Parts: sequence; C-alpha cells; structure tokens
Amino acid sequence: MSILGKKKSKVSDGVNMASTADIAFLLLIFFLVTTTFPKDKGLSIVLPEPGEEAQVSQKNILHLIIQPSGIVDVKRGESQQIVQMRPSEIEGLWRQEVSANPNMIAAVKTDPEAPYKFMIDVLDALKRANAERISLQILEN
Amino acid sequence: MSIKGGGFQKSSKPTDEVPTSSLADIAFLLLIFFMVTTVFQNDRDRPIEWPRALAAQKIDEKQKNILNIWMERDGVVYINDQAYSMEQVTTVVAPLYAESERALVISIRGDREVQYRFIDQVQTALVSAGVVRVVFATQLEQSMQRERR
Repeated sequence: MSILGKKKSKVSDGVNMASTADIAFLLLIFFLVTTTFPKDKGLSIVLPEPGEEAQVSQKNILHLIIQPSGIVDVKRGESQQIVQMRPSEIEGLWRQEVSANPNMIAAVKTDPEAPYKFMIDVLDALKRANAERISLQILEN
Repeated sequence: MSIKGGGFQKSSKPTDEVPTSSLADIAFLLLIFFMVTTVFQNDRDRPIEWPRALAAQKIDEKQKNILNIWMERDGVVYINDQAYSMEQVTTVVAPLYAESERALVISIRGDREVQYRFIDQVQTALVSAGVVRVVFATQLEQSMQRERR
C-alpha cells in the first residue's frame, strides 16, 4: 500500500496545460483565415464634374424613362415612338442597341415619384449589359 | 551542465516540457497588433431596406475612404450618425472630400422605396461638392448564392 501511495503522489494530478496554447493558436489562426469582412457592394457610377456638359447628338441617345409604376418607356433620340418595357428587358435591349451603335448613351430619366428601387433595377440591367455610358437624370415635367 | 554534488541537484536538470511562459506574450502581441490595425466602420447602420442588384461589385477602396450617405424612406439624410437636410449635404461633404485629397468614394445607401427626387437632390449636391466617384450600395442575395456555388 505504501508503495502504491508513493507512486500516486509522483504522477501529477493536474491536466497537462502545455497544449492549450497550441489549441488557442490553432483557433486564432483558423478564425483569422476563415473570417471575411463584409465588404460594401454596389453599382458604381462616375458623376460629371461641376459645370461639365457634353453635347450629344440625339441619334446617339436612348431615353429610358422610368414611371412610378416601374414601367420603362424606351424612346430613341429622334423618334417619338415609345416602347414600354419591364426593367428586366433592358439588358437584352441594350446589347442590341450597342451592337448597332457603339456610341450609344443611356439616358435614364426617373420620375421624381418613382421609388429608388426601379432606378436601381434599370441601372443593374445596364451594368449587366456592360453599359459604360450612362446618364442619370430626373424626369422634368 | 550540472556539477555533481554542486548543490543544484534537481533544479538544474533540464525539464522535458516546452517552455510556455512566453506564449502569452506572443498571444498578446498578436492581439494588440490586430486591435491596432483593424478599422471599423465609423457610423452606425440606419434601418433601411436595401435595394437589390445582380451586377453589384465590391467597392475597391479602403474603408476609411468610403463615406456613407444614408437615406431613409422619408428622405432624411444621415451622414456619420447625424441627420442633415438636403441643403447641408454639399457643405458637409465638400470639406471631407478635400480632406481625403479627392480619394473619397461616396456610398449612397438609400432605402429601396425612397422617392427618386431625394436621390437626385443628393446627386446634385454631390456634383456641386465636386465628388466624382459614387456607388449606389445594394444588397445582393442572389449573387451571394452565385458566389457560393
């Protein structure tokens, strides 16, 4: 009994703590690697400089008039003919237009009463069709 | 190294354990490093409903060069946790823009239902402040799923 008792006293009764630091560092590194910070996303545009106004020939303008209901009136520069579209149809339309005329400018005119989301829908469609030349305006009555 | 019978019988015996006393120092060094280098968004989020867009892209700019302009459904503008009227936007943004040496990107965070007249007024104010780079911030549920796929 006395021998057994001596042996017990030599074996430490605490948990070995040497590896806890390893575990902590492993966790630290794991979270460092897997954490992705929420990055802001959005549709970027470049505003014109103050007083900058470009004269554009009417035949290079595609008017996109956004109604408060979300319906888009599409009108080519010179003609008075209006085609009504949904924002989702703009993408295909723009691809056609730009292949016919690479100098085309999209003039997005939004009704002051229209919700912001419809303007974003149209801008999104134009961005998806890789439109570069976009002009954002408000519809004046 | 120990001298037999030198009086250092057990203490000078090399231990079979890794010296762990410095690990806490390393951990704190890392902790302090990340605390110092982390930049947090400097304004609080306003309760808005985000517009959605598929073509949205990450804003390729440092966090400190992004200024958020929040616009709630009723057209109230918030910049850095403070409400401003439309007329004040230019006078608030212009000095910040000059301070950043024209590197500032304005992130317009409008509620999806806000009337477009307010967005246009903010755009006009930004143009007169000389701001060039503007982002319409959107949330993108679909494209987040697309990225995961």
